[in-house]
Amino acid sequence: MSAPEATHPLAAVATPGLRGAAGVAPLRVSLPVRETVQVMVRRGREEAFAAAMEASFGMAPPAPGHTLAGGAVTAIWIQPGGFMLTGAGPGLAERAALAFVGLAAVEDQSHGRTTITVSGPAARAVLARGCRLDLHTRAFGPGRAAMTQIAHIGCLLHQVDDAPSFELTVFSTLAEPFFHWLVEAGSGDGVVIA
Amino acid sequence: MLRIPCPHCGARDEIEFTYRGDATVARPGPDAGVDAFHDYLYLRTNPRGWQAEWWQHSSGCRAFLKLLRHTVTHEIRAVATATETLEVPGA
Amino acid sequence: MTQPHRLATGGHVDRATRLSFSFDGRRYEGHAGDTLASALLANGVRLVGRSFKYHRPRGIFSAGVEEPNALVELREGARREPNTRATVAELFDGLSATSQNRRGSLAFDWMAVNGLLSPWLGAGFYYKTFMWPAAFWERVYEPMIRKAAGLGRASRLPDPDHYDAAHAHCDVLVVGAGAAGLAAARAAGATGARVILMEQDFMLGGDLLNEPGLEAWRRETVAALAAMPEVTLMPRSTVFGFYDQGVLGAVERLADHLAEPPPHTPRQRYWTIRAKEVVLATGAHERLIAFPGNDRPGVMLAGAARTYARRYGVRAGETAALFATHDGAYDAAFAIAEAGARIAAIIDPRSDSAAMQRAREAGFSVKAGSVVSGTMGGNALRGIAIGAQGSGARGDAVPVDLLMVAGGWNPAVHLASMSGAALAWDEALHTFVPGTPVQRERSAGACRGVNGIGAAAADGAAAGRDAAIAAGFAAGPDNTLPDTLAADHCSYPVWEVKGRGKAFVDLQDDVTTNDIRLAHREGFSHIEHAKRYTTHAMGTDQGKTGGIVGAAVLAEARGEPVAKVGLPRFRPYTAPIAWGAMAGQEVGKHFQPVRRTSLHAVHDAAGAVWMDAGIWKRPAYYPKREDADAWASVLREARAVRQRVGICDVSTLGKIAVEGPDAATFLDRVYANTFSTLPVGRARYGLMLREDGIVFDDGTTSRIGPERFFVTTTTAQAGPVMQHLEFHLASAWPDLDVSLASVTDQWAAVAIAGPKAREVVAGMVEGIDLSNDAFPFMAVADCIAAGVPARLFRISFSGELAYEVAMPAGHAAHVWRAAMQVGATHGIEPYGMEALGLLRIEKGHVAGSELNGQTTAHDLGLGRMLKKKGDFIGRVLAQRPGMTDPSRPRLVGLRSVDPRRQIRAGAHLLVDGRDQGWITSATQSVVDPGWIGLGMLREGEARIGSTILAANPLMGEEVPVRVVSPHGYDPENRLVRA
Repeated sequence: MSAPEATHPLAAVATPGLRGAAGVAPLRVSLPVRETVQVMVRRGREEAFAAAMEASFGMAPPAPGHTLAGGAVTAIWIQPGGFMLTGAGPGLAERAALAFVGLAAVEDQSHGRTTITVSGPAARAVLARGCRLDLHTRAFGPGRAAMTQIAHIGCLLHQVDDAPSFELTVFSTLAEPFFHWLVEAGSGDGVVIA
Repeated sequence: MLRIPCPHCGARDEIEFTYRGDATVARPGPDAGVDAFHDYLYLRTNPRGWQAEWWQHSSGCRAFLKLLRHTVTHEIRAVATATETLEVPGA
Repeated sequence: MTQPHRLATGGHVDRATRLSFSFDGRRYEGHAGDTLASALLANGVRLVGRSFKYHRPRGIFSAGVEEPNALVELREGARREPNTRATVAELFDGLSATSQNRRGSLAFDWMAVNGLLSPWLGAGFYYKTFMWPAAFWERVYEPMIRKAAGLGRASRLPDPDHYDAAHAHCDVLVVGAGAAGLAAARAAGATGARVILMEQDFMLGGDLLNEPGLEAWRRETVAALAAMPEVTLMPRSTVFGFYDQGVLGAVERLADHLAEPPPHTPRQRYWTIRAKEVVLATGAHERLIAFPGNDRPGVMLAGAARTYARRYGVRAGETAALFATHDGAYDAAFAIAEAGARIAAIIDPRSDSAAMQRAREAGFSVKAGSVVSGTMGGNALRGIAIGAQGSGARGDAVPVDLLMVAGGWNPAVHLASMSGAALAWDEALHTFVPGTPVQRERSAGACRGVNGIGAAAADGAAAGRDAAIAAGFAAGPDNTLPDTLAADHCSYPVWEVKGRGKAFVDLQDDVTTNDIRLAHREGFSHIEHAKRYTTHAMGTDQGKTGGIVGAAVLAEARGEPVAKVGLPRFRPYTAPIAWGAMAGQEVGKHFQPVRRTSLHAVHDAAGAVWMDAGIWKRPAYYPKREDADAWASVLREARAVRQRVGICDVSTLGKIAVEGPDAATFLDRVYANTFSTLPVGRARYGLMLREDGIVFDDGTTSRIGPERFFVTTTTAQAGPVMQHLEFHLASAWPDLDVSLASVTDQWAAVAIAGPKAREVVAGMVEGIDLSNDAFPFMAVADCIAAGVPARLFRISFSGELAYEVAMPAGHAAHVWRAAMQVGATHGIEPYGMEALGLLRIEKGHVAGSELNGQTTAHDLGLGRMLKKKGDFIGRVLAQRPGMTDPSRPRLVGLRSVDPRRQIRAGAHLLVDGRDQGWITSATQSVVDPGWIGLGMLREGEARIGSTILAANPLMGEEVPVRVVSPHGYDPENRLVRA
């Protein structure tokens, strides 16, 4: 038997189309297919880890609250000594495990986390209905990331560009209520699901 | 609602944190005996004033923090990481 | 004729827009820009409600949030909302309002007889009158009081509107958009700071709306603010609370001024604002004076009458008197005179003042050294009595239909007080003003006693600039401020005019000066006690007009200054807030998130009946058409497992990846048993204690590599266990190099259990020799399952030969279907939580009902698991005498003597009539049909074989049960090892 394609946690609900009002500047929602790998650096191995990160992924580990992109892989700071690597697969977890032998614990979270991209001028106001962070341009911006909770659901949020676009990564088993919240929050402007 | 300054993430709403009690007590060593463990687990000064408290940034970076908080005014004067020490005024 | 009291010109109403509305079924017309109150007054409607306790006729008293009287039911049907203040209800076309708290018609309320009973309805009447007999309270007194004293009626239908919540951040939050607030926002905005200006009114301007001469400045300022990109103007937004660290709460009314919200528009939005600096420019509320009959319709605050004239173009009366105690009040007389009313008298307790002179020059009759000593009329004011100040005499009667009362100003200190600032007594204004701030806030304008528009604007501009500088910005350019003469608002303190008749300090709660004195006489002399005893300042207006008057009456009774008596503590909310706004989005499916496993759709397709497990949805059972009832389904599923094979979704178990050089050491310390000796490729059951020695959690931990473990927890404790582990790594053993990652969502898992389990697993798994020697009980290995990378565990909860297959969650549905396909020839059936529970009770495995936070390892028969060597959490305190007492209840099995008689979890276990324990779990058995259970029983082991009673008094049941070993099914574990 060959490995089948994985079922996306939002496959049944995030069908393409418009939700809510037919606004002039709706929130654009898409579901990027990603591999997501959690990396936790061993005690006292920070320097060696940074070197390995540079060697294998072409970037330094991002500072707290930030992301860095090296080629097709983005590293997001999530906790002291902890990062999330995201990028197109396959095999990101294996790559990371090889790169960080003895330097970090590596856990594949590709199925455990679900990423939703929201984009458009309405994005900040829609997120503000559940997100307690200050996402104003003076306080946040592309390359910034935060672990927080949105609508009572734990969320890794990072800003991608000035559209603005944000990637919202949540626990997969909570992706559905999160998606329903997002659609409700954006209904006044309209939500266009790709 | 408190705004708690996480040393890693910046000021965040209290709802992102979980309170974990007095940060001045330390778990006794394995041979300390029942009385020491009893004190560690149950005995609290319950001060009216400054108190060092454990808070976990549970919806954020998951770090356990020590907070110096006033139990009457809710003022937060200092925050430290788990391995740092926090001076408690008047203690 | 419509709107007989509407002026032809002036104010901020749009006379071209005519809005139709109804009050108590009668149709009226008003204009855009009206409130319900201004429109009612324009139509000559003076009587708008009945009072709470005495059912006295009441009219419109104020023109704002402080309104105590004009509470109405707004709208009809599902949107009917009680206790809505007509003075802030924005008029819209089709608005329907009803007076409330009346029996019969508004003009003739038969409950007004309460006024005659008033000697028995004074302060504390509740506590005194309805004491005896006690049985009467619930059946007679309470329903009677509720019926007589209730305010409006809420709709009993679900709220058809939706509400929203939102979060805001700013450098400077300005609360209130009067002269001070507008100037503050502009000064702060000019620095480039992010400013939010919130105003509860639908128009920005506050008292500026009563000043035609300053309209140009108001418009220019609002336009300038609107043009600033970092300034957000929010009218219709009430800031209701000031919390810690610069957090404030507000409600924005997005659609209250419409008949119903447009599609996709919430009715209201609940804001949580985090401000670096706060400028409070909340203004002041005018103070009532407690003279006899001060509640009659037609008695109105002077500033309100002025607002109705200037802002709304409405003449609130035809023949008016002004009861003034300071010069600032006199503009009301000029305003109402300009509106066409006749000024019958101005009554002022002072001997002389500049304003009195001007009033005389304008031809008004000014009665210096006088007070209003009483009022005449029924449902409307017909006249007032004017007596000499301090004489106690009633004096001459003057016919009027409007009495404007100006007792001075109460600064709106609510938010400053909530922020933690103490209040300070201002001797000149005879009122409390905010003291030294403790948070990053400052008050400006009338809310700190700075009166007069020019002075307030200057004060606001300075506060706004200072706030922005404190937030890290450089001062911007200065702006023009309105230049007006500041009137003298220093009032002559007349709190009360004593005389015959009720003088109210709280119109909404029907609290009189005598009630306050009664409270003092009966020992409730502290302001907080007097408040609760009399209900003074407890209504929707929270004593905004008369709170301090009550304090002054109490002060006099105590023989102390008002400053010493103080005001009751201010708490949120400054104004009434709808429950809907507080619930926000969190209703219906958004009430709390529902957590679904990746097999949810598979279970749905199989017809699962769902049950809640915390926030998880889990299949309870899968009914089939031939099943007579739910039990038939459950027993069928359990039999499939015992006789053939079943499959169950166990994805909700908590899963934690524990990794690092010290991982084994760490697990030895957090589990009561040992993991460092566990070989790679093997799993072990683990028992975790709390530090107090009580069992915390259990689960299976597998060693995946020398430094890698895969820990599972119970579904319920997944989060707490993770925190427990993180806490001890951070606090107790920071030297251990261990990392923890929650992988609950990454891995889905299914249990495949039953005599045919091996055949099913063999039919779908590649890469593992499944023979008992090669892959024995408690073996673990990575494999390929149905073409998907997976991890196979040979573990059993049911007591049968069983496996668990864990796979990346996105592949779970595929693996499940493959197992069903392979298992079809073996009669595989999916089983749900009910069958899972049945199987584990038969087997004697403990679960949440037994791990209930009261039981020790010893109690559960797991005492042998506690390792003898080495430290672990709970080791020391588990050795306390009370924890090891042999007479503690111990886990036993139970079997109903009559197999048809049901036993239930929660029943007490009686031995010779003594309560000796309880049933934790109960089910029907498939192995030996009948009712069985697990329980905690004192001297449980010694009682095995005896028959005792399971008593459930709530159900009237006493069922004889036999005490048996909890491990009745395959006690040697032959099946799981087969």
